Formats: sequence, structure tokens, C-alpha cells
Amino acid sequence: MSGAIPDSLNEQLSHQLSQVVGFIYPNEVETQWAILIVVYPYLTGIVAGAFILASLVKVFNVVEVQPIYRLALLTALSFMLVAGMPLQLHLGHPERAYEIFFTPQPTSAMAMFGFVYLWYLLGILLIEIWFEYRHQLVLMAQQSRGLLRGIYGALSLYSKDVSPEALAFDHKASKLITIVGIPSAFLLHGYVGFIFGSVKANPWWGSVLMPIVFLMSAIVSGIAMVMFLYILLSLVRNEKLDMRCLDKIGLFLLVAIIVDFTLEALDYIHRLYQSEESIGILTQLVSSKLFLSLVVVQLLLGMLLPLLILVLVRSVRFNEELRKLLYFTTSLLILVGIFSMRWNVVIGGQLYSKSLRGLMAYKMEITGIESLLTALALLALPFIILTVLFRLLPPRWMESHAPAAAN
Amino acid sequence: MKLPEQVTRLGIVIAAIVAVVLLLRLVILPETLFSARPHQAAAVEREMAKPLRHAGVAVCRECHAEQFELKYGGKHRNIGCENCHGPAASHAADENAAKPPLPREREACLACHGYDSSRPNGFPQVDPLEHRPRKKCVSCHDPHDPVPPKVPTECTGCHGRIERTKAMSTHALLPCASCHAVDERHMTEPRLALPTKPDSREVCGRCHVPGATDPAASKVTVDLTAHGGTYVCWECHYAHLPEGRK
Repeated sequence: MSGAIPDSLNEQLSHQLSQVVGFIYPNEVETQWAILIVVYPYLTGIVAGAFILASLVKVFNVVEVQPIYRLALLTALSFMLVAGMPLQLHLGHPERAYEIFFTPQPTSAMAMFGFVYLWYLLGILLIEIWFEYRHQLVLMAQQSRGLLRGIYGALSLYSKDVSPEALAFDHKASKLITIVGIPSAFLLHGYVGFIFGSVKANPWWGSVLMPIVFLMSAIVSGIAMVMFLYILLSLVRNEKLDMRCLDKIGLFLLVAIIVDFTLEALDYIHRLYQSEESIGILTQLVSSKLFLSLVVVQLLLGMLLPLLILVLVRSVRFNEELRKLLYFTTSLLILVGIFSMRWNVVIGGQLYSKSLRGLMAYKMEITGIESLLTALALLALPFIILTVLFRLLPPRWMESHAPAAAN
Repeated sequence: MKLPEQVTRLGIVIAAIVAVVLLLRLVILPETLFSARPHQAAAVEREMAKPLRHAGVAVCRECHAEQFELKYGGKHRNIGCENCHGPAASHAADENAAKPPLPREREACLACHGYDSSRPNGFPQVDPLEHRPRKKCVSCHDPHDPVPPKVPTECTGCHGRIERTKAMSTHALLPCASCHAVDERHMTEPRLALPTKPDSREVCGRCHVPGATDPAASKVTVDLTAHGGTYVCWECHYAHLPEGRK
């Protein structure tokens, strides 16, 4: 039998076996859900969070956040386009992806993901962006030449009507879609948490709080990503930041972190108080294999330190430059912290034996399909797509090219 | 109320997408993608297309009634003729066209009766190395009515390997009973009446002490009072091949 296993796999398994602590079952030594399954909820979380931030403008009329409305929408779209890729790569048969739409299996949450994803992408995000950008697309098609004219014409679906009534309709339509979009964004990421939360055989995952914890952490990561991009873009373009907007995002981020922290703390306290039979191994897991990624990176650096900074920013009158720096640092810390949270959930849940008597190890590959390089490429891809989208659909174009028509 | 122009355009795009999906689902994609039923139907057709190779026990009985009756009254009543003799449809169609094989090799029987710990309790099994090696099963058992031909009278019936080992040793001429007391019951219910093993050093001492009474006594002698402490001899010496180990 062993002759049939390629050496590299053999080496990997023997390495993993040498890292095992205590007793494990034979089929547990290999980590089935690896780094790509960590990347997937991270990307979808950012989509949901960025969309929720954008909805503040449309639905809740938070005018301060208006400057980042389009940025948030395009961020959501560029991360959304990549969100399904880790799953496709993990499953290894992208050519069969269409089958989940044609052979629906309503009793399986995993099999319904395609519909959740498609609804959110086609039913919400693209239509909202289209209504938001239609006026600009019509004008861009008129003002550009050659290939670009064709592209913008096609993107605007060759509509020409920019009468005040038509624009008012666009506005109303995108508001309506955002109202439908909020529960859809909740569904998209709550669903990811649901997948983990419904694995009742795994006490690290199986918790009814899981969908809501995922959702709140998604909102935190989405807001942090938009904040990060907003500050970064202003630095790159040498533009002045709208500090009212940034402070408002900071406030929402603070509120979201407090709720997220409360929920996660509730989850842990509940587990500790319940002290089910798994608590022994989970305590061992957190204090050994996950100590760095959970206690240090996720909790201290990714949550408590940003919380402290955001509270400080609100209570002490720092000057603009310092505030910008602090916001930038906070957003980065949160983005790393939430990634670490996804890691701790996905990898952590596979690091202890179902016998509750042993711990496994995960050794990440550097190259190959399910590897560090793929994960880095997938994490970089949304930024590349975002750059293209920014070139194609400049968010500030209306201000400079059609000041009279800007709404 | 007139629909705004952009809604009409968006509607056309959405309608086009829906139309493509419906076209794919209802016209282009094959039915086999959605239902297991065509797979089952195809399997039945595929199997039916294969040529008929077996004749069936009823057809065998028509000509070979004697063998059938014998088999039907025995332990092999539920084993079809073609299980051992191979598919016989062509033979049934024309008895001279093909003769079914007559398996006489041990392997044919051992497929079912070779020892395998996963077989059910009480299922007749033999260890092919122990049980009459090199002898064909059919020389003692009638495959159409397989009962043990007779209860083994010699130890070699079951302990062939020990017998063969002993045959090469200086103990070759010693009968098993010179060291083991064997109850009659051991022949029929071997596990319920195990033979004895020598429980004192005197059993070996009959031949191996200096000045032993037996004229055929070994030249290998040992002072039982000084050699080996309180151990029984066979705890160190393998009596079936004393030269083999010490």
C-alpha cells in the first residue's frame, strides 16, 4: 500500500504524524480543509461587510459616508468575483461548477451555495452598481471614442435616457435593491457561518452563534477593508481625505467591533460555563496549537488593540494626521485579525481529534493548488480587479466631467 | 404607467439570461444529468445485450439427474452446477460442442473452504498446509455430496506439517502417542478434548538420561538433576525437531 503513495505525501504525513499529540484516529492526520477554505470565508466576509457599509448611505441616509459609497460597492464586487474561486480550486473541478445550478439539492446547505452566491452577485450587486453608474456610463459612452465607446455603450445596455425622471428612478431603484441587499448580504455570510455551525460532530464549530459571529466579523472586516482602501487611495492619489467620513466609518467600525467582541466572548464564556466533554481538548487546543493565532493575533492584536485605539481616537482630540495613521493601523490590524479568526475556525476545528484525546498538526504547502502561493494570489486578485474597475468606472468621474448633472 | 427605458433594457438582459438557462436546462443538457433513471435503464439494456452464458441448474438436471439428486440431498444443494463446472449454455445447446471443465485441483475447493477467519463460525474450513497437502480434495470427498469421508485415524490427517517436520528429525520413528495422550473424543471434537503435553522431565528422561532403559535410547544424554533447573524439556527444546533449536 505504502508504495502507491507518492513520496511527498508520505513525507508530509510522516511529518504530520510526528507533530501529533496524544491519541488520534487514523483518518484525522490529514487536514482536509486547508488554507483555501480559510481564504473563502475571509473574502465573502469582506463582500458582505463592504456592502453593509454602502447600504448605510442609501438606506439609512448617513450622508457622511457618501464619499466611499462607490468605493464600497466596487470593493464588494471585486471581492465577490474572487470569493467562489477558492472553493473551485479546492474541489478541483471548475468545469463542473454549472451542475450545482442545474441539479439543485435543497437539503444540503453546501449545495445551495451556488444560488446564494448567484443571487447576491447577479440579483443584488451588479444591478445596484448598474443603476448607480448608469448615468455615468451613458455620459462616458457619449464622450469617449472607439473601443471604449463600445464598451461603455454595452455596459449601459445602450440606454440614453438621462432625464431627471429617469435619474430619479435610478436612485429609487438602487435604494430598493439595497433594502433587499442587506438581508441578502446577511444571508451570504450568515450562510458561511451556518455551514460551520451546523457541523454538530465538531464542538469547535457546532454552535448556533456561529452564523451571527461570522456575520459580525464579516461586517468588521468589510468596513476595515473599505477604510484601508480609502486611506490608501488618498495617499496614492495625493488627495485630501474627508475626515468626517473617516471618523464616521471609525465610529461604525467601533460599534461593529464591540458587537463582534461581545458575541465571540459570549461564545467562549458559554462554552466554558457549559463545560461539555470537549472543553478539555479545546482548552488544550487554544493554549497550545492556536495560542499565537487566536490569543495573540486574533484577540489581542486583531480585536482588543483596535478597540483600544478606536476608543482613544473618539475620546482624545488627536490631530488629523495622527487620526489617519491610527485608522490606517487599526484597519490593517483588523484585517489581519479577522483572517486569523477564519484560520482559527477552519484549521482549528481540524486540529483536534474526534476522540477528544489528541491534537493534530497542519503543514501548509508552499506551492501547488491548495497552497500558500495560491492563497496569496487569491488574496491579491481582488485588488487587481479593483484597479481595473477603478480605471473602467472611476468613482469620481461625474464630479469632474459632468458637474452640472452630478446628483 | 410607462416603464422607464433603463428598466426595459435591464429586463431584456435578465430575460435573455433566464432564456439561456431554460434552454440549457430543458433542451441542451441531457436528461442523464438530472435523473438516475436513464442510468438504470441503460444498465438493464447493457446487461440484456450480453450473450447468455449460463444454462441454469434446471437444464443440467435434465441430463444429469443422478448427480443432481446426489447434490440436492447434500450440503452443496444450494450451489449451482455451473459454480464449479463453469458456464454451460453452449454445452446445453450442443453437448458435444463444449465440455464443461471438471475441476480437480485443490484450489477449486479452497476458494470456499480454505481457512479464512472472516468466514462464519462452523463453516467447514481447512488449513491447506496442514490438511493432506498435495492430495486432491476429490480423492477423499465427493463434491456432489461432501461429507468427511471418515474420521481421521492418524494424527497426520490434521497435523501434517508437524508430521513432515518430525519425519526429518531423529524423532522420526517415535509415534505421537509416545509423548501425547490423545482422547478418542479429540478425533471428532478436537478443541474440546486437547491432547496432553509432557508435564514432567521424566518423559524425555526415558531416553535421554545416562543408562536409560530403552535400548534404542539416544546417545544424547543429560543429567536431569543438573540440567535446565525446573523447566520442562520442551520449554527449551522443540521435540518435533530437536536438532532445529536449542
